[in-house]
Amino acid sequence: MIEVQHLSKRYGPVTAVNDVSFRVEKGEILGFLGPNGAGKTSTMRVLTGYMPPTEGTAIVAGYDVLEQPLEAKRRTGYLPETPPLYPDMRVRDYLTFVAKIKGVPRNQVKARVDVTMEKTRVADMARRQCGALSKGYRQRVGLAQALLHDPDVLILDEPTAGLDPKQIIETRQLIKELAGSHTIILSTHILPEVSQTCQRVVIINKGRVVAVDTPDNLTAKLRGSEAMYVQVDAQGADATQVIQQVPGVMSVRSADGQGGLEVASEAGRDIRRGLAAAVVTRGWGLLELRPMRMSLEEVFLQLTTDDTAAAAPAGEDLHA
Amino acid sequence: MRNVMAIAQKEIKAYFDSPIAYVFIGFFALLFGYFFVALLSAFTTQSMQMMMQGGGSMNVNQQLISPLFLNTSVIILFVLPSITMRTYAEEKRSGTIELLLTSPLTDVEIILGKFFGAMTLYAALLAVTLIHIGTLFIFGKPEIWPVVTSYLGLLLMGGCFVSLGLLISSLTKNQIVAAMVTFAVFLLLWVIDWISQFTGPTTQQVLMYVSITQHLDDFTRGVLDTKHLVYYASFIGFGLFLTTRSVDSERWRG
Repeated sequence: MIEVQHLSKRYGPVTAVNDVSFRVEKGEILGFLGPNGAGKTSTMRVLTGYMPPTEGTAIVAGYDVLEQPLEAKRRTGYLPETPPLYPDMRVRDYLTFVAKIKGVPRNQVKARVDVTMEKTRVADMARRQCGALSKGYRQRVGLAQALLHDPDVLILDEPTAGLDPKQIIETRQLIKELAGSHTIILSTHILPEVSQTCQRVVIINKGRVVAVDTPDNLTAKLRGSEAMYVQVDAQGADATQVIQQVPGVMSVRSADGQGGLEVASEAGRDIRRGLAAAVVTRGWGLLELRPMRMSLEEVFLQLTTDDTAAAAPAGEDLHA
Repeated sequence: MRNVMAIAQKEIKAYFDSPIAYVFIGFFALLFGYFFVALLSAFTTQSMQMMMQGGGSMNVNQQLISPLFLNTSVIILFVLPSITMRTYAEEKRSGTIELLLTSPLTDVEIILGKFFGAMTLYAALLAVTLIHIGTLFIFGKPEIWPVVTSYLGLLLMGGCFVSLGLLISSLTKNQIVAAMVTFAVFLLLWVIDWISQFTGPTTQQVLMYVSITQHLDDFTRGVLDTKHLVYYASFIGFGLFLTTRSVDSERWRG
């Protein structure tokens, strides 16, 4: 649905986006993750046809954004970082205006505005002026504006920025509901958002793609080998020796100095059964057994603060 | 065309939903009313004297309406920059330009929409003056034709200012800068023929032709010369064309 190839964007001497490539399949939610100034907004602006790329191509909903911008724009909904509202216009008037310029057929404008206001829960503010809305409502009207013409592709630049926790949950829920019928790219620098809403993540830093994968795979792959956190009540005996004997275990070391052990195993091999059996047959207590994963926070920090990781092409540094 | 209409409607709504339109129309009415009263008093006193001395009555069109419209164009010179300053500058500052540029609209549609929006407000300003001119028709017998051509001339002159104002507004994010530059350029076009008498014959011709007032003169006399129509039409067309270029280059510069 979206295909970006070797996209670069330079502002004079400043390179905002540097040779970025990725694909988004139909109905997918792609998270665009990166620190501030990483090039997220620039990439999105190219995808929405707001500005042309310096190099490379972007194909949205089957149309090149540079060659056939009107066709691509007709199929794209865009929520910029600050919702593009006219402060003096009332919400309903504003959405009616947007529906017209987005090419909603004349006889469907009213119905579309009503349905969209219902969906984004702004109907009770229909007669308010946009400038008098709270931040949360502004964001929702912005989202309504992006959804009005029922676009194939939705591009949302930090859709939950500035919302309170309840609104964040509602907005994420809405975005999830929209997936399937819409293909969605959303940018954020909030990590849990990605693991909660997105099927795939593109991590971008200093204008380059650092990693592309599912949130689960990203955290798992970064470990290199699988690791388990094990806490055993060995009744005074040395559990380390025993666990070392379990097939597939590569190393055992103390995880926290309180009896917790970090057990590394060969990648792709599940040692939980063997480990549990070894502990239990000795009559010990197995207090805790869970896979140790880096949280996305750690993954993110590792990928974006390491200079070599940032400079290396995507994929290679996944086994860091 | 539907897109142009949608943008124009939005612009007009923006003027009339905020105090802008009412302030402009109100103060324009005040100034025009003052000019009207001042010129009318002078006119009646003069024609009384003429009558006493046994001369014929004075021509309302030449002695009153024509100078009145020429004075009106001075008010317009001051008013229009503040109408056009916001057209692009405000959209850029508030980020709503992102909505317009990511919607399936061509640059030309956006610009024409804004042009017709501003022209509608300008026409509403001029409509106020119909009241005063109307009273002249009730109490006197002016010729209708020069009045019609005067309005046409004022509309065309305003069109030039609006297209130039759009261009200047599209070059900046700052409304004050847009207004100041627009005003300065308007004024320059206004007075550019002042130095014409001190230059050579060729330069003089060029300066006279470029001056925006020289062209208005004939309209207020009821003369409809294609020379002036071509001047105004090409001025408006060129201003709008440069605006499309400016918006497009802004896009590439990012």
